[in-house]
Amino acid sequence: MIETNAVLGYPDELSVRAGERITFHLSSRFAKVDAKAVLLRCVDADANGPGIKYVELESPMDGVHDVAWHEVPAGSCAVVPEDARLVPRAAWSIGGYVWATRLTDAPQTLLARWSDEAAAGYAIESSKAGVSLRIGSDRGPLVVSTSKPLLERYWYWVQATFDQASGDMTISHTRLAEGTVPAKTVTALATHQGGWKLDSQGPFTMAARPSTLSPLVHTGHFDGKLEAPRIATGIHSIEALQAVDAMPRPGVVDARLVAMWDFSIGIDGLDVVDRSANRLSGTLLQLPRRAVTGVRWTGAVHDWRLDPTQYGAIHFHTDDIYDCGWPAAVTLDVPSTWRSGIHALRLRPLDENGRRSHGRAPPDREVDLHSGQARSARGEQAVDAIEADASAAETFITFFVTPAAGALKAPLVVLAATMTYLAYANSALRLHSVHFEVLTEHLMVLTPDDVYLQEHPEIGQSTYDHHIDGSGRAFSSWRRPVMNMRPRSTLGNLAIDSHFTDWLEEKGIDYDLVTDVELHRQGAGALKGYRVLASLSHPEYYSEPMMNAVMAYQNDGGRHVALGANGFYWRCNFHPKAPAAVEVRRGMAGTRTWESRYGEVHLAGTGEPGGLWRHSGFAPQKLVGVGFDAMVYDHAGYYRFTPGSRDARVAFAVDGIGEDERIGDFGVRIGGAVGIEIDRLDHDLGTPLHAVMIATSHGLGPGALPTTEEFRTTVHGLEGDQNALVRADIVFFETPEGGAVFATGSISYVLSLTCNGYDNNVSRLTENVLRRFLDETPFEMPDV
Amino acid sequence: MDHTSDPHAARYEIDPERLDLALEFRSNPSGPYGPELSRLVHRMRWGAFPGRYLLLTIEPGKRWALAQMPDERGEKVRVFHDVQFDSLDDAEWHVFQLRWKAITGRDLRLPEQARRR
Repeated sequence: MIETNAVLGYPDELSVRAGERITFHLSSRFAKVDAKAVLLRCVDADANGPGIKYVELESPMDGVHDVAWHEVPAGSCAVVPEDARLVPRAAWSIGGYVWATRLTDAPQTLLARWSDEAAAGYAIESSKAGVSLRIGSDRGPLVVSTSKPLLERYWYWVQATFDQASGDMTISHTRLAEGTVPAKTVTALATHQGGWKLDSQGPFTMAARPSTLSPLVHTGHFDGKLEAPRIATGIHSIEALQAVDAMPRPGVVDARLVAMWDFSIGIDGLDVVDRSANRLSGTLLQLPRRAVTGVRWTGAVHDWRLDPTQYGAIHFHTDDIYDCGWPAAVTLDVPSTWRSGIHALRLRPLDENGRRSHGRAPPDREVDLHSGQARSARGEQAVDAIEADASAAETFITFFVTPAAGALKAPLVVLAATMTYLAYANSALRLHSVHFEVLTEHLMVLTPDDVYLQEHPEIGQSTYDHHIDGSGRAFSSWRRPVMNMRPRSTLGNLAIDSHFTDWLEEKGIDYDLVTDVELHRQGAGALKGYRVLASLSHPEYYSEPMMNAVMAYQNDGGRHVALGANGFYWRCNFHPKAPAAVEVRRGMAGTRTWESRYGEVHLAGTGEPGGLWRHSGFAPQKLVGVGFDAMVYDHAGYYRFTPGSRDARVAFAVDGIGEDERIGDFGVRIGGAVGIEIDRLDHDLGTPLHAVMIATSHGLGPGALPTTEEFRTTVHGLEGDQNALVRADIVFFETPEGGAVFATGSISYVLSLTCNGYDNNVSRLTENVLRRFLDETPFEMPDV
Repeated sequence: MDHTSDPHAARYEIDPERLDLALEFRSNPSGPYGPELSRLVHRMRWGAFPGRYLLLTIEPGKRWALAQMPDERGEKVRVFHDVQFDSLDDAEWHVFQLRWKAITGRDLRLPEQARRR
């Protein structure tokens, strides 16, 4: 078994143009690694398929590089730069609204200007023991607590006051009335005299506090929402400090107000704006969630752009992670002569003697590799997952090379679904969900990367997973170690897609590669000049620029071979101010592993509605003729031709395949070409009227389950053995200017390509279509 | 709570006398199953992750070791390297027996003839 995480890392960008630079940011307990770039042909390690295939590439980067250990700085917060005006004067009051989502024994920081190193400053914290105010002094930190914890997911007003002259410290929390639960205030008072250490010499922070100031590292993170924190000189009643919210009339400025951070300003950005005259604005770190309902949300508005004041909260999580911020350890200037494709940085840690390591960290630095002795129900011996028989250590970090500027283009371009890979990045759904084994009807099979994910949640999971406080994860970033987009990873997404690149290599069909990032940033320009576009097994996540770019390509004579299913499904976007992250709002429909809270369906980054493209008037059927209808995780099916296959317009596709053949009743791992997730034709949802259904699925059973948006009420007979709408369709249609679309309607379709030495009817059908699509002879669109 | 998030949403009482269902599973661990065995297997497979049996890949597509999820995120996965399989069907049957014992409180003892097959 290969140890795949002795070195962790990520690229600064997921894709790089040949001739340009990419950097890799690494962390390891080993001091040296041997680095080599490779061009991947297949990344699927399954011994029943083509296996991992790659070629090594020469570059000046080859060789040994120094690495160091770096922590993952998980947990989001807001930071206001150090400013003397935030040191309390004679007397002051501080308060804000709080909606806690996970109370812990350890205090979580709400608002603070505190230094752990100097034990100086002040901090308001929340824990299972209550809400407390902590102030530094010569005698150590002085604390006053309400001794009563907040209720999770209830709005509170939290306020502290401090009077140096009297030595009075107060802390209170006021639960706001909610339904039949009345408002209630709990207050605590303590008095201490003199010796105050009020100046932390550091920043003011929200939802965390500094553990060290140089480098600035945070700890004590908070799970929950904060809204409208403010500081005022003087001792104020709860009502008076809350009233600072009121928008002042022109020329009315209360000089006692030190700061009042209004999170409803700049919801699409990463700044927290101070509305006071002091302008003590700050910055968000590690991408907490904005565009969430605040204490003033009425339910009348669901789009934050219509009334940002109803969205004045920010939801922080202790396990938010956007950018690990590790220094670059390897820099690769990609030679302009390199072909485009799926690439990886292969890293092999070296021991103290410069020899290839077997995966164990040097003994004096060994951490986290202890043996977990335990016994099963039958008494078998349990040991550490990876250490037991690690025979070698090797890590791949995937990146994508796109064609050099001005390079001669291949006629075919493969579109790597990086937005989807990102949405799934570090998915631990299989590990933690209640239902997954029932869905698949098989024991779950883990890779060493899955084990690492379970044991190291700090690297952050995918948009399929939940935060530790139970809320859905709306962001996923590539600037952190990503486990499942590389050789030996979990066998989905890129592993499946690479069966097609392997097949192209076997068939000797030349291709270029671009990714969703280029499609999103350049629009249709990313596809310009290519005769054929191949989208792969599961291009599920699409931004509006990407949807429109593919449609424009098709309408300008482009030919699109859509080789997957459940594509073009979720409306999402890269965050404009955090461009390495995809933002997903699940909405309240569709096959979803979590649901947006009411009022929180619109994206923070762009304001557009999340949810399904189907519910934004652009169902996938409108783009490629088929759209998601069912999941088939247990037993795969196959296709048979329909009467439409006799249409002369598709004769090129079916050539050489018997009319009665079962098409794809075989396939790597899944066992059939119709499986995992499947799509069907639907004119009501936008399939062009002139589309030809060439084939449709057979052999699906009760484990073929329709997606929830496909039925409006539960009834008997929804499953695939009884429901004619649970099926995969293969369709073809012509587009303007001589273009065409061929769509296969099943994720597992490409897993059949390589069977029987690449000689089978799925391979034949695909090659027939691809060869015709590569022919410049225009398709003639019927009169529609 | 929605159905697919509730670990207790599976409702079926396993009858430890129904060895016929165990025999059916053993003859076809990958399914599809008959209606009664489907209910039984559903009950076994549904639930929260702590203690869940699963497999760790030793050689992709060839060999797997029995593993078990811990109680919390961040804790070690327990791996039983002395319990390995070169067939996923054998692994399914092994875990079926473990779950039968855990749920019914009885060892799964098949008739001698069936055990020999």
